[in-house]
Amino acid sequence: MAQTQSAVQVTHIAQTHRLKRPQWRHILPYLLIAPTLILVGLFTIYPTIRTLEQSLYEPGASTRDERGRRVQEPDTFVGFQNYADLFITQDPPHPIVGSFLQVLGNTIVFAVVTVGVTLPLSFGLALLMNRAVRGRALWRFSLFYPVLLPLIGGASMWAFLYGNTGGLINIVLRSLGIPTQDWLNTPDLVLWSVIVVNIWKQAGFYMIFYLAGLQAIPKDIYEAAALDGASYFQQLFSITVPLLRRTTLFLLVIASTYAFQTVEQLDVLNRGMPANRSNMLLWYIYQIYPSAQARGYVNAISMVLVVILLTFTFINFAFFERKDDDGQ
Amino acid sequence: MVNKRNGWSIIADILTMIVSLLWVAPLFFAVLISVRPSSDPLSVGNIFFGRSITLENYQQALELAPWAWHYLTSVLVVLGVLVVQIITITMAGYAFARMKFFGRNILLFVLLIQLMIPSGVLVVQNLTTMRQLDLFDTRWALMIPYWASAFGVLLMRQTFREIPPELEEAARIDGANLGQILRFVYIPLSIPTYIAFSLVSISARWNEFLWAAMVTRTAEVRPVTTGLSQLFSATEAGTNYGQLMAGTLLVVAPLVVLFIFFQRRFIESFASSGLK
Repeated sequence: MAQTQSAVQVTHIAQTHRLKRPQWRHILPYLLIAPTLILVGLFTIYPTIRTLEQSLYEPGASTRDERGRRVQEPDTFVGFQNYADLFITQDPPHPIVGSFLQVLGNTIVFAVVTVGVTLPLSFGLALLMNRAVRGRALWRFSLFYPVLLPLIGGASMWAFLYGNTGGLINIVLRSLGIPTQDWLNTPDLVLWSVIVVNIWKQAGFYMIFYLAGLQAIPKDIYEAAALDGASYFQQLFSITVPLLRRTTLFLLVIASTYAFQTVEQLDVLNRGMPANRSNMLLWYIYQIYPSAQARGYVNAISMVLVVILLTFTFINFAFFERKDDDGQ
Repeated sequence: MVNKRNGWSIIADILTMIVSLLWVAPLFFAVLISVRPSSDPLSVGNIFFGRSITLENYQQALELAPWAWHYLTSVLVVLGVLVVQIITITMAGYAFARMKFFGRNILLFVLLIQLMIPSGVLVVQNLTTMRQLDLFDTRWALMIPYWASAFGVLLMRQTFREIPPELEEAARIDGANLGQILRFVYIPLSIPTYIAFSLVSISARWNEFLWAAMVTRTAEVRPVTTGLSQLFSATEAGTNYGQLMAGTLLVVAPLVVLFIFFQRRFIESFASSGLK
């Protein structure tokens, strides 16, 4: 009812305006959003469509004619062949994307472990920081500053900690008489070393969401529980954790989305080596894209990532659709 | 939570301290090693302090990459993105907050696609676009893709909606046009949001690496993060830690200093950037 009324009102206003200044009022909103929409179209929507399209083609060979000029053969439509090459193991391994499954596996392990460790950790940190503790600003700085650093800068600090001979961790271990490890060159260790860097970088970020959540819980709930004789840990698991469920779900989604696209640390943490054991999808794309023959695969891998990320986004929408997003 | 000063509380204090120290250790040791002479390696003697303090690592790190150009590029890119973003998000934010037009919800959804598909996964196609636009290896390529910010538009839309419409009506009655209404009503009342957005934007652009490494070649138009990458390769594959940490600190220092000044603001802004 109210909507019909306001619609009538709007039409009425529009009509009176049309008499005075035809067109302008109708065009104006589109003019205001045009720059944004054009840029989104050019750098998000168009490339997504092109990626999807090109992932179905095998790039034509680039040859030279008798005069030495470059001749580009047309691309061939191959359907889902590029995807098949990615996902079906071949013997011998595919020359370009033979390690895709390994890399996809790394990426999933990286995402699951990073998220699985960082969220409980940041919840714990939020509990610690949500108390009257002396020097809070300093502790907060310590925990939050990694969030701001360029990923490659933060990782570069860790490259020093992880160094095999001159690295800090090994120097400390040596002085304590504990066997040292080559943190970035041991195949079974390298992915874990990278995971630690990302946990360090992100924990402070998720902590602030839990802090906000904790501060929104009314104090009297705890007072009531305390009167009933509930211990701290009973209160924690029967009040705090359930009430922060939405925060946790939300963080689960943004942390997973983020984890699938974080690769810049690899530039200074052994670049996916040894034997691709720390390689991840986006870095893999970065490595193989210069090869002209890899174009179809690069696009197919990008689509795999798009699908993964869209899945999380839809989970996000399904769970967290905010009602304030429409009308007023 | 009920907070009693008891044994648990002391344990929690100690735990807070230990975790914070662990977290700050990488930065702390980066600073220490960056001022430690290379003739006095960490493995020999005191692990914290060398026999003297030197700036030689900084001098050498500065020589290993054209930092002046990298800094210039990063500053230009940060500002060039921020200024245009402020304009585009104000315009679109106002349109979506206060105007009624055909297709508004659909267009808003189109905009949201930018949040769903991060530019990171589209780098290869965007690289082709940049070549076609003849912008490959220019600073423009580092700026233009970020001139539109769906996150910023949503943020401004939300902020503008909270401003009482009566203020705008009063201004209109006084004969103000849209530009004046934005300038004298909406923008002044939204300064905290603009600051929050700016902090997130500055930090994101300053920290960009992968796209910059792919779309630029010439040192003069590359940002500081690529300088760090180059320094890593140049310092004997990152084993000359004094120089590497000196370079790392040169790259991260502006953000750390900015953070020290805007600590609370930064944390709040980042919280809202996650909430987009």
